Amino acid sequence: MLGKLDWSAIPFDQPIPLIAGGVVLVAILAVLIWVVVKGHLSYLWHEWITSVDHKRIGVMYILLASVMLLRGGSDAIMMRVQQAIAYQSQGYLPPEHYNQIFSAHGTIMIFFVAMPFVIGLMNLVVPLQLGVRDVAFPTLNSVGFWLTATGALLVNLSLVIGEFARTGWLAFPPLSELSYSPGVGVDYYAWSLQISGVGTLVAGINLVTTVLKLRTKGMNYLRMPMFCWTTLASNLLIVAAFPILTATLAMLLLDRYLGFHFFTNEAGGNVMMFMNLIWAWGHPEVYILVLPAFGIFSEVVSTFSGKALFGYRSMVLATMAICVISFMVWLHHFFTMGAGPDVNAIFGIASMIIAVPTGVKIYNWLFTMYGGRIRFATPMLWAVGFMVTFIIGGLTGVLVAVPPADFMLHNSMFLVAHFHNVIIGGVLFGAFAGFEYWFPKAFGFRLDERWGKRAFWFTFLGFYITFVPLYVAGMLGMTRRLQHYDVAAWRPWMIVAAIGMAVLSIGVICQIMQLVVSIRNREALRDRTGDPWDGRSLEWATSSPPPVFNFAFHPDVRGEDAYWDMKIAAQQQSLEHEVPEYHDIEMPRNSPTGFVCAFFAAIMGFALIWHIWWMVILGGIGAFATFVVFAWRDHDEYVIPAAEVAAIDRANLEERRNLVSMAGAI
Amino acid sequence: MSDQTHIEHDLAPGEEEQHSVGERIVGYVVGLGLALLLTATSFFIAGTDLVWQPSIPVALIVLAIAQMGVHLVFFLHITTGPDNTNNVLALAFGLLVVFLVVGGTVWIMAHLNQNMPPMDQFIRMHS
Repeated sequence: MLGKLDWSAIPFDQPIPLIAGGVVLVAILAVLIWVVVKGHLSYLWHEWITSVDHKRIGVMYILLASVMLLRGGSDAIMMRVQQAIAYQSQGYLPPEHYNQIFSAHGTIMIFFVAMPFVIGLMNLVVPLQLGVRDVAFPTLNSVGFWLTATGALLVNLSLVIGEFARTGWLAFPPLSELSYSPGVGVDYYAWSLQISGVGTLVAGINLVTTVLKLRTKGMNYLRMPMFCWTTLASNLLIVAAFPILTATLAMLLLDRYLGFHFFTNEAGGNVMMFMNLIWAWGHPEVYILVLPAFGIFSEVVSTFSGKALFGYRSMVLATMAICVISFMVWLHHFFTMGAGPDVNAIFGIASMIIAVPTGVKIYNWLFTMYGGRIRFATPMLWAVGFMVTFIIGGLTGVLVAVPPADFMLHNSMFLVAHFHNVIIGGVLFGAFAGFEYWFPKAFGFRLDERWGKRAFWFTFLGFYITFVPLYVAGMLGMTRRLQHYDVAAWRPWMIVAAIGMAVLSIGVICQIMQLVVSIRNREALRDRTGDPWDGRSLEWATSSPPPVFNFAFHPDVRGEDAYWDMKIAAQQQSLEHEVPEYHDIEMPRNSPTGFVCAFFAAIMGFALIWHIWWMVILGGIGAFATFVVFAWRDHDEYVIPAAEVAAIDRANLEERRNLVSMAGAI
Repeated sequence: MSDQTHIEHDLAPGEEEQHSVGERIVGYVVGLGLALLLTATSFFIAGTDLVWQPSIPVALIVLAIAQMGVHLVFFLHITTGPDNTNNVLALAFGLLVVFLVVGGTVWIMAHLNQNMPPMDQFIRMHS
């Protein structure tokens, strides 16, 4: 009746996951009870859960990423503490638990922190920057978000029901095959990634279509803000690469469920094929993450330097070059697999070549800052911190792109330090910069600068104190994923790294404090103009937060830095516009399709993990029925009458005019 | 979003030029006919001894590529029209990625035993 599921699945003998799971469960229940008692349920359902507004979906993506960052961060703290104390002892984590933690840490940080964070920012900002009212497929957008959330739910469920994979974040066979991992851990891993992978793919299709097909009048390709370009490149990579991940995991699942032999040791399976395929996805994936971050930094550096982006066209070219070359380097993740000097040399050279367009970008940001009037607000701090950190990470990357050096450094702590160097220094700093930069646009008030700067400095310093020792430990020969060790020379570096982790954690606490303080002081921090940073692109041309329809009129774009040009034009001419004639606006109706679909997908995923076949069928039928009901809908748009548009837009214009005239008086 | 402004000839999804139902049905029927014809020819060629045997694999490859072309033109509506630049570019990008991944995989997997001693010699030495 319940497949493999019984009471032995609950880890009563392991206090750490049980207590952690219990605390999370109590917290979720408390939030739910608070929501119901305070009567917010209806608001939550109508305004957020069923929302197809790209801004709201973007915010929900970022909220999911932030919560999962705390989960992944807790795993990181546990690992660093374990390695600090596990010298000639077992530490406090038994091996099978430690292995689950490093697997969950990697899986969560990449798939459920980095991915939703950048997709959330793209969702929130790109339609605004393009001057349009929504993404190309609003309901699909909601489906994509909820499927991603389903994947995150399943990963966290493994904490209290069953176990998670002990195989590392990419579940390499033969270890991940049934003969070596008979438990449900790998199934949790694979099914949550399959489900969230569908979500990521539809988000990718949606954003590619949005950038290619929905741009406002005059917004041709070479007038798009840099963030739109990197969004396009990143989502092209999603569309091209994620099917490879899906196919590879599907083959692994066929091995595990139906006795196939794609990657098994026996019966003609080839484990090397898994490495090859998973990295053919895995390398584009790192550019999927870091390209949007590059876009964010381009926006931030240009805005806070008060200058147009230096070398805009070279930046576009570099972005698209990275987009293509990222598909030519994947073998550098397995130089040691034995492909011989010809293959290794070609992929090694390609890996060095991809550093060139990235270098072009660094110089462009530096030249954008050169001669500019730089304001060191929190987003700019993250951008400068990124440039310093990412260059170090990039240089160690070029080092391990040299095959002979890689034979020494493969799977060492040096490698661990390298990829944290680029992912934290690139993607996470970028996500935080974007968060600080666009928060006022999403919520209508700025974030507290004092706490923001504290968060930056603690994170920045904490990062170096944590990861520089890991570089050293790698040079001393320490391999990754060690549950305990007997080499005295590594010990001090592990202790320093653990101290660095504590400093990083203070950074995270500052980030939370910043939110609390800012929400409390929101009236004082209110952004009435919609343009708190003296911005250059169209998202600052509308109010903060923008009305549901974003723009009362589609802006007419005459050049790069569309909004900057409008501001210049407005200053030169008189501020009085003729009263525009407003029109009715049609907007897509909210739809519970995404939530209901993900609900059934969660049931199906859980049932597949535990081999509860009747429940699989139930979940599958439910998800399909949801799709059919949505496909048969009669009306999917509603009309906002011209009078209402006029009222909302006039209020916004009034605020802006007051501000400009006040500035004039000073 | 019917008042969406358009850039040059690029149309928003769902706003492409509408052909009449009859025209569309004719297109799909022609496509189906060609696809069936190519499929039937493939099956016929594979089993026949009417043609020179070594030419069969080549013929099958040619028929398969023609089949893809029919699908692209009649079902996926890839044309050379001005609104199709994006679709053609997307197709080119897709082909490039498939070429890189498939070609790269074949090349990598064929070289995996480079650092191994040649197995036949190895066996001869020990026998």
